Amino acid sequence: METTNSKSLFSVIFSTLKSLLPAIIPSWNFFDYIAPSPRAQFALLHSEDGLPSKWHEYCPQPDYISFITMLKRMFWNSQWNESLYVMSCAERLMDKPTHHSEDEILNCIKQYVIANNQKYNLENIKHLQFRLVFIKRQGEELQHEVTFLSRIAAFSNQSTVKTP
Amino acid sequence: MIFSLAEAVRLTEILVGFAFAQQSIEHLKTHSPERFLFLPRLILALLLIAGIYTQWVLLLLLLFGLAILYRFQGPYNGGADRMSLLILISLTLVHVAPNTYLQEVAFGYLAIQLILSYFISGWVKVVNPDWRSGRALSDVFLFSAYPVSESLRSLSQSPHLLLAMSWYVMLFELLFPIALLTQNSLIVALVITATFHFSNACLFGLNRFFWIWIAAYPSLIWFQQRIFI
Repeated sequence: METTNSKSLFSVIFSTLKSLLPAIIPSWNFFDYIAPSPRAQFALLHSEDGLPSKWHEYCPQPDYISFITMLKRMFWNSQWNESLYVMSCAERLMDKPTHHSEDEILNCIKQYVIANNQKYNLENIKHLQFRLVFIKRQGEELQHEVTFLSRIAAFSNQSTVKTP
Repeated sequence: MIFSLAEAVRLTEILVGFAFAQQSIEHLKTHSPERFLFLPRLILALLLIAGIYTQWVLLLLLLFGLAILYRFQGPYNGGADRMSLLILISLTLVHVAPNTYLQEVAFGYLAIQLILSYFISGWVKVVNPDWRSGRALSDVFLFSAYPVSESLRSLSQSPHLLLAMSWYVMLFELLFPIALLTQNSLIVALVITATFHFSNACLFGLNRFFWIWIAAYPSLIWFQQRIFI
């Protein structure tokens, strides 16, 4: 038991220090090429075996943002930064699928739905599912490809999604 | 304007404290347990700004930085988090280094990484034909998730403007190291890069990049004086 705990602790320390390495020796290759861009879409379900009838865009961009709003967002940009984190998790899911990335996206979508509950009919909604759509340029056209379908997770106004 | 090492380090601490406070406050609205990581981080950021127990505060901030990396299984905000940790490591090493020479090495490393952050970004773009033709920037506006509003996507239909913007970005990033030759050219370059980060914050919502990159600027001003004057 003690050996297992030591191994687990070692694994946590090792993986965390490994994540630190790109900060000590960064690559700085921002936007070196424009990769396919992920969008998270979610469906609200009445039951665990229900089929999604409508996919909603997670955190859709507004049509227009004033310069004043842009200035305010220099100091408070919480929702947008969370949506960028969801994008990172989506890219991680494609590179190396983990429960963590899936759970994080589910949790962020859940928080988003709760915060924007006036937009959705949440009556009898018990479950949530998301899919990832990657957009890329194919010649002169834009191609949309569904690359990931999440598990169906329980949805309530309080609990967070737990890794099974 | 002459910066001593101590003054540059202190200014960096204040700026990074502000950046950390801003980042931490954004996390407090959430109902998830991550609040318990960011509330103490906010308090530590304020202590850093005030200059109270700085060495211990930096060490604790570094520990929280590692805990946050573990919590999100990597950076939460990509390059901004990496620069945050880099500055933190550099400042911590400055405070624990046993002599001035090692303090200068630790702080100089931050300045060199700041230079590389622009030069390498410019280099990886200029070797890509899509960037040279303006198509890459067009794609950023057309289908990437970054533009903060749908109206900004119409910029993808302005090829001449995007070509000019692409070359403007690539050239100032590639030429940035030359700005170190004189103090005036460096100040001009830093104003240009700060404006660039501000534009990215407005157009693409990358507000954290603006604050954290600005926080590293004192290291470069000090470095330029140390090497070239």
